[in-house]
Amino acid sequence: MKTFTKLAMAGALSLGLAAPVFAEGIYTPNLSYRTGPFAATGIPLMNGQADYMAMLNARDGGIGGVPIDFDECETGYSTEKGVECYERTKAQAVVTQPWSTGITLQVLPKTNTDNIPILAPGYGFSPMANGKVFQWAFNPPASYWDAASMIMQYIAGGDMGSLSGKKIVLLHLDHPFGKEPIPVLEAMAAEYGFELVPIPVGLKEMQNQSAQWLQIRRERPDNVVMWGWGAMNAGAITEAVKTKYPMDQFIGVWWAGHDEDLKQVGADGKGYKSISWSMPQPDAPVMADIKTHVVDAGLSQQEDLNSVFYQRGLVISMILAEGIKAAQDNFGKGEINAEELRWGLENLDISAERLEELGMTGMVPPFKTSCSDHTGHSGGWMLEWDGEKFVQASDLLMADAAFIAPLEEEKSAEYAEANAPWPMNEACE
Amino acid sequence: MELLNKIFVAPFAEMVEAPDFLMQVLWEGLVSGVLYALIALGFVLIYRSSRIFNFAQGIMVVFAALTLVGLHEMGVPAWISVVLTLGVMFGLAVTVERVVLRPLVGQPDIILFMATIGITLFLIGFGEIIFGGENKQMITEELGIPTGDIVLEPFGGLLILQHIDITAVVVAVLLVTALLLFLNKTRMGRAIRALGDDHQAALSVGISLQTVWVLVWFIAGIIALVTGIAWGSRAGVSFALEVIAYKALPVLMLGGLESITGAIIGGLMIGMLEKMFEIYWGGPLLGGNTESWFAYVLALIVLLFRPQGLFGEKIIERV
Repeated sequence: MKTFTKLAMAGALSLGLAAPVFAEGIYTPNLSYRTGPFAATGIPLMNGQADYMAMLNARDGGIGGVPIDFDECETGYSTEKGVECYERTKAQAVVTQPWSTGITLQVLPKTNTDNIPILAPGYGFSPMANGKVFQWAFNPPASYWDAASMIMQYIAGGDMGSLSGKKIVLLHLDHPFGKEPIPVLEAMAAEYGFELVPIPVGLKEMQNQSAQWLQIRRERPDNVVMWGWGAMNAGAITEAVKTKYPMDQFIGVWWAGHDEDLKQVGADGKGYKSISWSMPQPDAPVMADIKTHVVDAGLSQQEDLNSVFYQRGLVISMILAEGIKAAQDNFGKGEINAEELRWGLENLDISAERLEELGMTGMVPPFKTSCSDHTGHSGGWMLEWDGEKFVQASDLLMADAAFIAPLEEEKSAEYAEANAPWPMNEACE
Repeated sequence: MELLNKIFVAPFAEMVEAPDFLMQVLWEGLVSGVLYALIALGFVLIYRSSRIFNFAQGIMVVFAALTLVGLHEMGVPAWISVVLTLGVMFGLAVTVERVVLRPLVGQPDIILFMATIGITLFLIGFGEIIFGGENKQMITEELGIPTGDIVLEPFGGLLILQHIDITAVVVAVLLVTALLLFLNKTRMGRAIRALGDDHQAALSVGISLQTVWVLVWFIAGIIALVTGIAWGSRAGVSFALEVIAYKALPVLMLGGLESITGAIIGGLMIGMLEKMFEIYWGGPLLGGNTESWFAYVLALIVLLFRPQGLFGEKIIERV
């Protein structure tokens, strides 16, 4: 019988048929991907998200006394399956967490009519920061354009003028996610006089990037910036080692900073960097609570509690939990609906004091959202692989808001016009 | 005029100017081609003996590699893990023959093809349950596969040859040689070929369909394991490896579904030509990522002139 159950589970997993089971409480589905080519990076993130909610349920009885019904719908990072999961879960959900820029772009127009907030921490369409246009979409604490800005500032050493004449390769997944930084990097290249060379990596080429790294060898760039995900990251890092590209000139976005990817090359990857809006804090008080209420209780599937991605997953669920709490406090009730959560996500105030209360000091920079700013633009740190783990390699870096804001305005207006009639939130300044 | 220059002049000028770089491109293409050929061989063997297009070949690569790494993680020594993995692949071959193929004998080819899609979906789900979806490190050093590289300086330039890539090429050549000897010089090998040539005639002289099917699926399993080790050594072992199976499809279109020689030459041709095209024409003219489609276009052009592929058998049916 046990074997049959396992086989049935295997079949269900492979077909993505895991149906949502609604329990009591606030229903917060996660469009997860624990299977497929991107599972290796998805699993620790999903574990972190699930464990934080499990910890709140076990320790506090949920949020504001209401348990959280945290559920997963498996997408395998497929946009089609993601849209199916969105449709299947939206009726009861107070939020949708699409977990892919492709899925986010597909469900973005639907959320205006379904009145359900999208929570896409650190991913999705960067102009979603403009809350006046994207009233149902949130991508705190930082957008991809923030990441591009922070990386370029780090390369420039704070003096953007020094980028003049440099050649920067953007090695990116040939997918909406990978193409996301191109507009801002092109604008920066025009402004600061560096040459941008985008080199795409197809899904079928993720594990064999010899052609891409031959192009990099020919281009002789000053730096390689990577917008990689899933198996692409390990593929790129092993090719970089193989072609003897200097690791200290190789910087990835925050989804290209996964411990397991770097363990493939170990000490050879020393010097590789990744911008990150989260930082593992093994001694943070929240980690003790996770251990007591989740790990020791046998509720966790995670082995390494100090990995960058697992702890980022904890932060992602904390952001959602804080949105729920803000809504509960504002509307004076425990069982909130999607519209009320939208208010909560628009009024997040993750201050240093609040992070201390949560036992998460240093795990994410403080940030605030507002009606017009759905990102929060927290800034981030540069992490560096020391051969065994990621360590902090910079003070807090902040994106160039003055450079990014007009582009956000322009691209969000273009999006609204292309999708007219598009509802605006006129209440936003 | 500039376009014509980019197509007909600049690439060749660059090849002459930087011959070391051209050699590196050709070497990388050769290594990729050998690995494509290995995957294609798995498809060809099963197709030759049973007329089944085995959609599960890609997931068999993942399953074999994950079993090897999983056994080693459980504390089993590396080479014993290899032997046990071969045992698992044999068990898989027997199970597929008994549970899936035998009940479908005599059914149309499309039914058998659909059955292999079922095997793929089952192995994905089963593999996820048993091994999880995390990226695992291939046990390259434990297997004694040399790491590191050889740096040469031809024409005063730079040519880097990875020991892992050299090993992959050598092992692939040995495997193919052994396979050809087996198919041509042994009784069972001849039985496989006979079944591929004429099912009815082969059965009438006493060749056991069941035994041959188990054998070819097992050989495909061995090829899957070798392929999994070679690819897994490059960037780890995860379910992402499955997508490399799609790289074998244009190889089969080009080389022909029945031909072992076609799989090898098709694989090498595609590996080297797609790399050359991407570096000298695709990147500069089309923005890159031409490897995703180049092989298919090349195969389609060949099919225009030779519908059976370069080495496939021409089918003449009299009605």
